[in-house]
Amino acid sequence: MMTCREVSTVISSGPLAEQPANVRIRAWVHLMMCRHCRRFWRQIRALDRGVRAALRGYEEEMPPDLPKRVADRLSGRGPDEVA
Amino acid sequence: MIGPVSTPPDWLTRLRARDPESLQAVAEEHSRRLYRAARGMGLSAEQADDVVQEVFVTFLGSLDRFEGRSSLATWLFGILLRKVQEQRRASARDGQHDELDESWAANFDPSGTWITPPVEPDRALAGQEFADAVRSCLDDLTPQQREVFVLRQFQELAASGVSKILDLTVTHVGVLLHRARLRMRQCLDALGWGTAQ
Repeated sequence: MMTCREVSTVISSGPLAEQPANVRIRAWVHLMMCRHCRRFWRQIRALDRGVRAALRGYEEEMPPDLPKRVADRLSGRGPDEVA
Repeated sequence: MIGPVSTPPDWLTRLRARDPESLQAVAEEHSRRLYRAARGMGLSAEQADDVVQEVFVTFLGSLDRFEGRSSLATWLFGILLRKVQEQRRASARDGQHDELDESWAANFDPSGTWITPPVEPDRALAGQEFADAVRSCLDDLTPQQREVFVLRQFQELAASGVSKILDLTVTHVGVLLHRARLRMRQCLDALGWGTAQ
């Protein structure tokens, strides 16, 4: 059976769904029985949600005309035409 | 046996023909995420603006090599990463060993069981204050950890996509993500956000 250290390392290395089946199943079995690792898993997901929200905040500061400037530049209408 | 000759999809054909509407659509669809990633990787607002433009210019110049086998997002993020890397020198801190590995190991007894069990995240990790803390803690990551951590926040980019973009093995991407998360948890905890022990 996997140890807490192994399971928590797997969890923080990426989504369980991306793990090979044998690792995923062994991790699930451990998680079913270990509330500490379930808690750690919730921590990781909470952190990810918070980080995603924080990163989305960067989009609000993006100049709204940037996509248009890009398109104009690519179409050869901008100051630095693409060859 | 030689398979059927594949033809590029319509949207790619239109892009290669520099169809203005298609160019606009691609810029509209991807600029925001690229800008977010560039800022997340530590570029200033001005640098991010420039880099996003350069990504599309490079993309247009490389369209003949883009065969549509990887997703457009993966291709664009790959270009973005190279542009971001051009903006800074690689850090010597990205070695194979990290002192985090030792502090992580200290959480477990010899049998691999938690010594001090994790606690529930005790409050919503959201709001401007938390966003400021996240941005500050991102600066604590090494460049490679930061690249992996930020790219993995885009749900359309799985480990395999990020490994292609960064030219790393999937395993190495996992190690970098693990270390990035530990460092972020430590940093946020030190700032009073209680994500760790």
